[in-house]
Amino acid sequence: MYNLFGAAFRIAAKDIAIELRTRTAFMSALVFAILVLAILYFARDPTSVGAADIAPGALWVTFTFAAMIGLNRAFLLEKENAAIDGLILTDVSKSAIFIGKVLGNLAFVFVVEFVSLPLFVLFYNLDITAQIPGLILVIVLATVAFVSVGTLLSSMVVRTRFAELMLPLLLLPFLVPPIVSAVQVTSRLLAGRPLSEVTGWLNLLGGFDVAFVTLSILLFEATLAE
Amino acid sequence: MSSSTGIARAGQVFTILGLVAMGAVFVRAFAFTPTEATQGLAQKIFYIHAPAAIVALMAFSITGIASIFYLWLKETRLDLFAAASAEVGVAFSVIMLTTGPIWGKPIWGTWWSWDARLTSTLFIFLLFIGYLVMRGALTDPVIRGQYSSVLGILGMLLVPFIHLTVYLFRTLHPEPVIIKPGAPGMPTVMLITFAMAVGAYLILYLGFVAQRYALAMAQETRLEEAGDAA
Amino acid sequence: MISPGNNAEPEKTDDCVLSVSGVTRTIAYHKILKGVSFDLMRGDALAVVGPNGAGKTTLLRVLTGLSRATTGKVDLRGSQGFVGHSSMLYDALSAEENLKFFSHLHGVAGNGVVANVLEMVGLEDRKHDRVATFSRGMTQRMSIARALLSDPELLYLDEPLSGLDDRSSTAVIGILRSLRSRGHAIVFVTHNFSAVAALATRVGYLVGGKMVLIEKVEERSAEQISERYREVVEHV
Repeated sequence: MYNLFGAAFRIAAKDIAIELRTRTAFMSALVFAILVLAILYFARDPTSVGAADIAPGALWVTFTFAAMIGLNRAFLLEKENAAIDGLILTDVSKSAIFIGKVLGNLAFVFVVEFVSLPLFVLFYNLDITAQIPGLILVIVLATVAFVSVGTLLSSMVVRTRFAELMLPLLLLPFLVPPIVSAVQVTSRLLAGRPLSEVTGWLNLLGGFDVAFVTLSILLFEATLAE
Repeated sequence: MSSSTGIARAGQVFTILGLVAMGAVFVRAFAFTPTEATQGLAQKIFYIHAPAAIVALMAFSITGIASIFYLWLKETRLDLFAAASAEVGVAFSVIMLTTGPIWGKPIWGTWWSWDARLTSTLFIFLLFIGYLVMRGALTDPVIRGQYSSVLGILGMLLVPFIHLTVYLFRTLHPEPVIIKPGAPGMPTVMLITFAMAVGAYLILYLGFVAQRYALAMAQETRLEEAGDAA
Repeated sequence: MISPGNNAEPEKTDDCVLSVSGVTRTIAYHKILKGVSFDLMRGDALAVVGPNGAGKTTLLRVLTGLSRATTGKVDLRGSQGFVGHSSMLYDALSAEENLKFFSHLHGVAGNGVVANVLEMVGLEDRKHDRVATFSRGMTQRMSIARALLSDPELLYLDEPLSGLDDRSSTAVIGILRSLRSRGHAIVFVTHNFSAVAALATRVGYLVGGKMVLIEKVEERSAEQISERYREVVEHV
């Protein structure tokens, strides 16, 4: 039995190597993120709603929609030449495959997020220098939440008809707690409030991460069986 | 085939009993239960609304529990039962989501309020619509059972998180205190009517689920027979 | 002429690498496999032939464990490799990168294992090229290389020659013959009777989800096998 995390890192590294070579999903997600950020800036009445007021919501809508592009692709890659069968036939555990896919997707989404974050600051004319540690914390917590559930659901929908339609339908309800929490924390941070004001939300995010990452690892095998 | 016919028959009996009990609850609610002082007649809708919410949530929890057992025992009937419960849960959610705004208009002055319970039910309702849509996209009973169970179990865990989210959202954005349908200080006579309503809904739930489950069983048997004949 | 018992069935000994008993498989209410049983020895090469829709691919997926048997048992005593209908490779990676990746997951990385399998299938000079640029024949050889990484005692192949030109077919058959001669057992599904003639020690006729007959096949020409196939299949 090959070491669980060793195998997971191999799988994640493989996904990253493929993405670096093709860059199609990354470029689509990034351009998509920039477009959504720009469109949401105009989707308000400038005389009554300031850009800063909608900024946290805009940021998280952008992040989740862009992440969805990566998640949709995650298992398409394995399905293309039935590579997932090749993975299953090796000695690695199903958990290692799942953790590897989650790590690969996390890397993808984090890069999209940290490339679009400066653009967000620029577009919405914000000053976030003092808030960077807090922002990184909330971005990590919320991204782990939706990438873990999203990877699990992606493994299922890729085997159904209309996979691209099914993923948002099934995933969005699970995004309610992490996205609402992330928006709340982000808006407090952007208003210059300390993190101690949002411990309730951070606890909720942390609890969601622990609960859903654990459950997703346990349930992953059921998405592969046939 | 015979067992599913028996279950269907039992389901019909329970459904008729449930409908009669509902009728009795209405009669009692209007004729023998005092009208609430501040809310007036609108409060009567509470006897439909709150039990529907309770039974819908229960139905989804039962789907989640049956899903856990399905993944453990791999018994198709457990999946069919989970799906029947989910479908009935969706139906009761519709009752909850429509009666809520009807009550809300005269009391809150607005059809929709992002009240914690209404909001949670809305999202769980949408999730289980997704559950039913996904089932429709799968033909193999084993794959359908496994995927549905994954979603059923995840959904069960999501309920408390959504509730907590809406609760935190509310406490951080204090709004004028809203009258809740059914305050704790409800007089005993109203409580009894309410308890009877819950009982009637539970009987209806059993009736609906039994019939839906029997139908799914019969369908399964027919498909298996068709497969054998091929 | 066709006896219900499989009279060519070898006796169970320590040499047995695979024992399949009463395997059935139902997909979406259709009974694809209706009870398949056989044993396989080291150095054996079993060709599974049968009409389209007989359940050949499903049988291989159940044997490898990729699909669960609805009932019955697959008892594998040794390691397995699988060359499926799809290559199970990543198009965007090079031949060497693909094999290195899978060798790590098999826990056999290092010791020149990747170079070994590349040499075995004759693709050393293309190892830095992306799999996407390979012809069907080269992809098939890569697929075999991937399956050989763990040095499996038993190799499954699904239509190993489909879509290959004569030269590639000869190359693939050469690879498989050398494996067989080194004591690897092989189970392959095929429509190609020359492949059966060139490679198989036994042939199994899978018709309507049932293995209706397994018999020895050595020293027969492709024409004889083809004739025999028609005889058996029409008889059922």
